[in-house]
Amino acid sequence: MQIRDLLTESLMIDELVNNTKDSVLTEMVEKLALTDKLSNKEMFHKAVLEREAEYSTGIGMGIAIPHGKSSGVKEASLVFARSKAGVDFDSMDGKPAHLLFMIAVPEAANDDHLKILGTLSRKLMHQSIREALMNATTYEDVIAVFEDA
Amino acid sequence: MKIVAVTACPTGIAHTYMAAEALNIAAGEMKHDMKVETRGSVGAENALSDEDIKNADAVIIAADTNVPMERFQGKKLIEVPVKEAISNAQELIKKALTADTYNATNLSDQVDSIKNQKKSERKGAYKHLMTGVSFMIPFVTAGGILIALSFVFGIEAFKEEGTIAAALMQIGGGSAFALMIPILAGYIAYSIADRPGIVPGMVGGMLASSIGSGFLGGIIAGFLAGYTVEFLKKSIKLPRSMAGLMPVLILPVFSSLVVGLLMIFVIGGPVSSINNAMNGWLQSLNGTNSTVLGLVIGLMMAFDMGGPVNKAAYTFGVGTLVAGQASEVMAAVMAAGMVPPLGLALATIVAKNKFSHEEKEAGKAAWALGISFITEGAIPFAAADPARVIPSIMAGSAVTGSLSMLFKCGLAVPHGGIFVLFIPNAVVNLAAYVLAIAIGTCVTAGLIFGLKREVV
Repeated sequence: MQIRDLLTESLMIDELVNNTKDSVLTEMVEKLALTDKLSNKEMFHKAVLEREAEYSTGIGMGIAIPHGKSSGVKEASLVFARSKAGVDFDSMDGKPAHLLFMIAVPEAANDDHLKILGTLSRKLMHQSIREALMNATTYEDVIAVFEDA
Repeated sequence: MKIVAVTACPTGIAHTYMAAEALNIAAGEMKHDMKVETRGSVGAENALSDEDIKNADAVIIAADTNVPMERFQGKKLIEVPVKEAISNAQELIKKALTADTYNATNLSDQVDSIKNQKKSERKGAYKHLMTGVSFMIPFVTAGGILIALSFVFGIEAFKEEGTIAAALMQIGGGSAFALMIPILAGYIAYSIADRPGIVPGMVGGMLASSIGSGFLGGIIAGFLAGYTVEFLKKSIKLPRSMAGLMPVLILPVFSSLVVGLLMIFVIGGPVSSINNAMNGWLQSLNGTNSTVLGLVIGLMMAFDMGGPVNKAAYTFGVGTLVAGQASEVMAAVMAAGMVPPLGLALATIVAKNKFSHEEKEAGKAAWALGISFITEGAIPFAAADPARVIPSIMAGSAVTGSLSMLFKCGLAVPHGGIFVLFIPNAVVNLAAYVLAIAIGTCVTAGLIFGLKREVV
């Protein structure tokens, strides 16, 4: 199990079309719905919004990690999106989010998936990785950033 | 500086780990040692050991869920939401190093700890009893089943030395059953006084057996031993250099001495006079009203299951056996002795929510022990809740005993349970006999259903 199994090429949004928090979340859920990872799009979308209502997953440093655990998810997966302009995500530091990771986890997720997500979350805390992700031009570049780190 | 931290968030997927990493990075930049326990949805990873906590200069709890806190008693500690660690790790570390020490002293913690204390006090005696019982159960089932197996070779087969039947009886009856009461008493005392309780508990339990006071004597021995050790621990003050002698010499010797003397002279005396009185009473009842005699035998057989009262009734029953002839008294004795385990086995099925998981499992073995006339199969249940279980089984056995007499059932052998029912001429009035046992079993199960409380 590797990061490329969770974040497939079809789950990458090189540049987001939308620029508000709600519309960006919808755009990312729709992206995920194009694959076969969801069994119920609405349920997952609702789980993401509920999580966001607790407090924003905009963690600062230009990163947001909206996530939802829902029985509407078939298999753990990850949508990666970038926004050069930035999205106002009510982040802790008040700055816009440029790197967005949407994490979808089924109710009964297996530990391998959760461990990869944990590792990925850890990597995002390093500035060098964040910069490399902004500068990556292809899907393979993005995967390489995680794998090399 | 050494710092330990715990991070946790409700979903446990991302924030937990980001906070952990942020703390690691910040600590690295500030040249501190950092170990972070993550409590995510995979469970606790990189868990803090007692050693880690002991060596730590400060503790950071960055969590939005409950984190076990007792282990941080007396450490400098700061508690914040998980996002604080992500956005402000360096600041957090500085604050932690100058934080107040954690003392479960804030109001809600205090209330919690008082509540817990009350809970454990209320459950004290019951908890001790259950500890003893749960250690005893496997001895009862192992011993009982092996004894029953020896009956397969014939009811008296074990009397032939060197046979498998004799070996089975020696293993089950002579060893596993002989350990039953010492184990019960030993672990009751262990629950009260920890390891030092085991010696006087087991010695007292062994004495309870040898003076014939049965499992009730064993329970007394266990509590006596536990509290004696507790008392000795508090009252004997040795200079520091001799403190090592307490667990290996002082406590075992004195506690065994005190408990042993009490068992022999205080408990033992009444037990043997009870024995004699019971025997005399039964003799006087014999030949008067047989239904009443059956009732009394039933009450006695169930009262202490293998203890002195039970043995008195059993010995009396065997005494009425004349070679080759069926005895009505013996029939009542065996029927009444089969009812307690059978009734409890039935009760674990009809009153599932009133028994612990362990007891329900023991209930399955109790079927086998009951039909084999191994009354001891009921002891674990009775020891766990004597006030409700003993009256229930006494009532069931009394009904069975008097019905057996009323139906004029007879039995020509002194033991065997179900194994003798199929031997021609061993039982007189077989159908009525089985009916008597079945009715008593239902009475016991019904009473337990009504009396016993649900397990919390």
